[in-house]
Amino acid sequence: MQKTNSLFLTSGLALAAALGCNRDQVQSTRVEKAAPAAMPPGHPPMGTPPAAMPAGAVPPPPQPTGGQALQWLLPKGWTTAQAGGMRFATLKPPAQGNAEVSVVTLSGPAGGELANVNRWRAQLGLPPIEAAGLASLRKVVQSKAGTVAVFEFANSGSRMVVGLLSTPAGNTWFLKLLGEDVPVNHAKPDFMKLLGTLSLG
Amino acid sequence: MADPPTPLPRRLWDALASLELTLISLALLMALVLLCTLAQTRLGIFGAVQIYMRSFIVWWQVPALPFRLPVFPGGVLVGLMLLFNLTAALIKRFDFTWGKSGLWIIHAGLILLIAGEFSSGAFQVETNMNIEVGQTVNFTESSRDIELTITHSKDPSHDQIYSIPASLLRRSESIAVPGTPITLRVKRYFENATLAMREQTDPASLATAGVGADVKVVAQPVVVSDNEMNQTSVFVEPVLKGQSFGTWLVSPGLAAPQTFVDEGQTYAMAMQHRRYYLPYSITLKDFRHDVYAGTDIPKNFSSLVHISHPAKNEERDVLIYMNQPLRYEGRTFYQASYGKEGKLSILQVVQNPGWTLPYISCGIITLGLLLHFGLTLRRSLQQRRAA
Repeated sequence: MQKTNSLFLTSGLALAAALGCNRDQVQSTRVEKAAPAAMPPGHPPMGTPPAAMPAGAVPPPPQPTGGQALQWLLPKGWTTAQAGGMRFATLKPPAQGNAEVSVVTLSGPAGGELANVNRWRAQLGLPPIEAAGLASLRKVVQSKAGTVAVFEFANSGSRMVVGLLSTPAGNTWFLKLLGEDVPVNHAKPDFMKLLGTLSLG
Repeated sequence: MADPPTPLPRRLWDALASLELTLISLALLMALVLLCTLAQTRLGIFGAVQIYMRSFIVWWQVPALPFRLPVFPGGVLVGLMLLFNLTAALIKRFDFTWGKSGLWIIHAGLILLIAGEFSSGAFQVETNMNIEVGQTVNFTESSRDIELTITHSKDPSHDQIYSIPASLLRRSESIAVPGTPITLRVKRYFENATLAMREQTDPASLATAGVGADVKVVAQPVVVSDNEMNQTSVFVEPVLKGQSFGTWLVSPGLAAPQTFVDEGQTYAMAMQHRRYYLPYSITLKDFRHDVYAGTDIPKNFSSLVHISHPAKNEERDVLIYMNQPLRYEGRTFYQASYGKEGKLSILQVVQNPGWTLPYISCGIITLGLLLHFGLTLRRSLQQRRAA
């Protein structure tokens, strides 16, 4: 009986130890390169869910730095939501499909135009370019907030249109329309108009 | 002459196998179920279950005190107590006679039932697969757990992804990433935090590289309710062959991965929901959301998926709908929800190696009850005839 007791108690301790042990460890996986869109479709938002706002002129979002905040006129049918974290706002075109605009601001030059262009190209699986190639890719939109440099990239069914704006206060703003080829193309005219309405409030 | 005192081990053994301990354990379990149910209104199901049922001790953080007080045994402790009690009782009163066989079978079934719950708690993994019509996905994602990933772009077509669970970041100061020359020094870990652009008056960021240098990180209370998500963030310093690559902020609040380059090799760090990659892929061919005619009342949700498993040379379509999950390679895919006006299907994916245990134990208990009832009835009838 004593032997049985010992065996039983030992088994109990082993079970408790097994339950207490941690399975978490670093794992390595080889996967095919991710689709260009950073977030998988349907990916649940992290942080506080944004509240939808009606279309029209939107009030200025919270001040990101000591400088002025960016304002814009929202195209008809678009909605905007103030996003958490690094996103200043998220804009949604009315078109069906996977396409949305992220508005992000950073203080300073944020790495410069070439570094950002190559970062965006990498997101779409495109090779980097040299500084000499920038001018041919850059389009310009004039707005009250200043000159917006616009770049467009596409690869493997995904498309990205990015507006880059440097403000007198030293902030850099990125307005990035990203998604599948068709909905981005559909939303692009309105997005270009939106870039023309940018102002500093 | 007085009897010699009972040795302590014997007394402990008697207490462990006692009926009193069974009743106390059952009463504690009932109280836990009640407390857990009440707590769900403020903590959500996940939070309440974690605090009351998946813990050894239920703690109470007294606002005025810097430490927590243990106030009640948790579900794990009570469950273990009951498991040991039933097993000890079975061993102690071992009397293998035909008349007692029903009781032994019932006990064995109960032990298996409790062991099955421990198995689920320890090994069950619940994730989601969010998939749009026409999309192909080869991973599932945890809705709760977060991981830091280091993506190494080795070749044009594939990435090597190293995943470090947040739970490992939480308790580690330094993590060597196997298969790479990288050691990650964890400078500061936030279970939940908000990010904002750093003002000139703010103290310097811990980050010395990447956008984190311009970001202010503010710790927030940990959230556990079902509709809230912690924004787990961490400052880490990658060190390769003794050389520091600066301190970086990695957070789901950052829109882009944080990338550094060593000898032409690019490493991108990001925080994301913990992913579980599958050796097969699933394509959503169609999603249907049927309603009763003339109403908006849901009648049925269904996802027509295509499974592609190259290693098994398997290609086939499966319809997943309410109460008809897909069971495949140890995982069960349930139709859980939908979104994007019916273009997005959300499947709950459960991997539980012990999923059959509750069914088996219920079958054993039923068999034991029938046997015990039959034997008791026969004995009663025999006694009546004898009288």
